[in-house]
Amino acid sequence: MAGINIGKAPKNNAVLPFYGTGAVFFLALTLMILFCPAAVSGHYFQPHLLAIVHTAALGWGTMVIFGASYQLLPVICEKELYSAWIALLSYFCLAVGAIFLILSFWLFRTGVIMIGGGSLILIAALLYLLNAWKTAGSCKKYSVQRCFIISSAIWLVVTASVGLVLAVNLRYPFIRGSHLEILKLHAHAGLAGWFLQLIAGVSTKLVPMFLLGKSDKEKLLRWAFLLQNTGLIAFILDGYFNGITGRVFFYEGMVLAGVIAWLVYLTDICRNRVKKKIDFQMKYVGISILALLISFLLIPAIFYGGDHHFAIVYGVFVFLGWISAIILGMTFKTLPFIVWNERYKNINGKVKIPMPKHLYKENVLNWQFLCYIMALPLLALGIFMHIGTIVRLSGIIWVMVAALYTYNVAVVIFHKRRV
Amino acid sequence: MGILITDPFYEEKQIAMNALYRVVDPELFVNIVDLGLVYGLDFAQEKSIEVTMTLSTPYCPMGEAITTGVRNVLSVEYPTKEINVRIVWEPKWDHTRISDEGRRQLGI
Repeated sequence: MAGINIGKAPKNNAVLPFYGTGAVFFLALTLMILFCPAAVSGHYFQPHLLAIVHTAALGWGTMVIFGASYQLLPVICEKELYSAWIALLSYFCLAVGAIFLILSFWLFRTGVIMIGGGSLILIAALLYLLNAWKTAGSCKKYSVQRCFIISSAIWLVVTASVGLVLAVNLRYPFIRGSHLEILKLHAHAGLAGWFLQLIAGVSTKLVPMFLLGKSDKEKLLRWAFLLQNTGLIAFILDGYFNGITGRVFFYEGMVLAGVIAWLVYLTDICRNRVKKKIDFQMKYVGISILALLISFLLIPAIFYGGDHHFAIVYGVFVFLGWISAIILGMTFKTLPFIVWNERYKNINGKVKIPMPKHLYKENVLNWQFLCYIMALPLLALGIFMHIGTIVRLSGIIWVMVAALYTYNVAVVIFHKRRV
Repeated sequence: MGILITDPFYEEKQIAMNALYRVVDPELFVNIVDLGLVYGLDFAQEKSIEVTMTLSTPYCPMGEAITTGVRNVLSVEYPTKEINVRIVWEPKWDHTRISDEGRRQLGI
């Protein structure tokens, strides 16, 4: 049985394009914030902000998370990725679909390009679900992580489907209810379904692996899965049939309880870890969790405040806080290993070789972190206080974060073997 | 993994173990011997060596790099022998298998 369960990572061309393209979209996102600060100061349903949000959600968040997932699905499921070819196909659909969608929102051209972009995103989501299902579906043993992976992929398909319906509705109005109310359901299916559950599933596998930690409180994870999904399904069904009412807090409470159960599980792993020294990148995880909890606290302000700025600040903490922090940190815990595996695997042990952590510039990562912890609160403050100068200043720092990140990603991807 | 001095292949196994110190886990930066990943060495076959070992995480993406490293370092010491690496999950690896030196390097 030699060779059983040895990790055969998917080919790099099924993973690396996602990281490279995600970095470019992140740079584009920060340039949009810098050159169009008015977009983040107005109502959330306006063309430029819709373009910015979809750049963050699809071009940046989903793009990098797809790449990381294709690398990590085999680890979680203890089985090779079902199809690297499907992964690559999903990349093209996601990249082209995101460009179509972002451009059509920015110029607000409803019609063929917007609907075409939405269709390509839906195809990408379906391809991802197929790959995740076929890889995870044949897991030898049941695991909550597997449930999170599958459920998040299903939520992505739901989100993309509703998004496509909304894109069609903008050109050929047919929805009888409020477009904006359905937009909220679409957004939260993506946030609490796709992003939250994917991050929950992957983190509970990765954190023990990085820290050599363990927890025997798996029951917490089962509760996390149940509460997050029940809360979200109830929110969407109630919101669709009855509109968004005060009951939203009950559903928010359920999802929050699910988040807390997941975080308690992660804390237990950290307490029982073998590797005491925590890597620099893990600091981003702390910021990410803090941003997520702040987002939850902002929901009552959005509901009762009547000020659309709360909704924008909420979006900032969700996309640029919670999701971006986890990506900015974890990129350099995954990408260097992927590249190292290809460049050095075969000569490992033969000669002295660099380790994965030597493939990126550590000082650039330090500067990136410093800029990031300034940029996030500044942007939120600028929007909250309605001060355009602070928004513009934060825009400059955001561009610096993205430029440093993109440079470091390029350094890793284009690393040449030195021996 | 300890080697008894009464072992008929004591010397060969010592050479092999010394070579395996050169294979480092790329995530933890600790060699696989001090991590306690090597469970056994079998020199009973004339033309081959069998290494029985585990990984800290099943289906670890670095698994192939580590087993390739094992083959590479042993091929240097024993160029005429075929190196077979057998990955096992029982007994399950845990941190109690890490040596004192490994613990020191991990800051435990």
